[in-house]
Amino acid sequence: MSADSQANAWFMWAAYGAAALILGGYGLSLWRRARRSGR
Amino acid sequence: MTPEAERARVVVRRGLVLVAVGLLALAAVYVVAIRYTPVERFQGLPQKIFYVHVPAAWCALLAFSVVGIASILYLWLRDPRLDLFAESAASSGLVFSTVMLTTGPLWGKPIWGTWWTWDARLTFTLFLFFLFLAYRALRGALHDPGERARYSAVVGILGMVLVPFVHLTVYLFPTVHPQPIVLKPSSPSLPWEMLRTLLMSLGAYTILLIGFITTRYGLGRQVEARGGLDVG
Repeated sequence: MSADSQANAWFMWAAYGAAALILGGYGLSLWRRARRSGR
Repeated sequence: MTPEAERARVVVRRGLVLVAVGLLALAAVYVVAIRYTPVERFQGLPQKIFYVHVPAAWCALLAFSVVGIASILYLWLRDPRLDLFAESAASSGLVFSTVMLTTGPLWGKPIWGTWWTWDARLTFTLFLFFLFLAYRALRGALHDPGERARYSAVVGILGMVLVPFVHLTVYLFPTVHPQPIVLKPSSPSLPWEMLRTLLMSLGAYTILLIGFITTRYGLGRQVEARGGLDVG
């Protein structure tokens, strides 16, 4: 794999990771809030 | 537990189920996009960012439209549940806007050679994001529920008015941002394997959006059922 295509792959993984972190993180924060308010 | 609190708890539970289903669907989309969708010849791997960026934009604009519609209905019917629903949609829209504004530059850098440019689409999108941040700030600053609901409804409607402009910017001011390849008058100009992945992703993101709005709305209803103050 060339340096260029490695760099390009990095951008894709970074975007997929960021989307998963933001959406998963928000989902988790709602779940935690629901648990707290359920007590 | 009062019947109202019990109903709110059921809404929260349904919302969380949708969030879980949406996240699982998103995981499946990742596998399909990375493993089973062809690599575009000219852009290479960064083109696959399209499958997480476009659905985020779709959900953000959909959520902000929902804010506007709920706000109009609130001003008409004066039902506080509509205000709460608008707030839930605005917060969820901001989450998807964050995804859109994060993944966009990650595509722009390898393809355009820059993280950001003041292209009309990008500028309008950023403006819409700031407008809904202001919507959230306004809600936090006003403590009278009626006043908070009225003022934020006006801002929410103004935000909704911007949504069609965001979509049309690529036609009105054509610069560097690609034009729509699916949501356009003619048929989608995308090979089936890519269109399939995009549609799957749109589905997963939309389920997540509905889940986020439902959960947040249910949590707000729970607070109200307890007679608590939620400046949300």
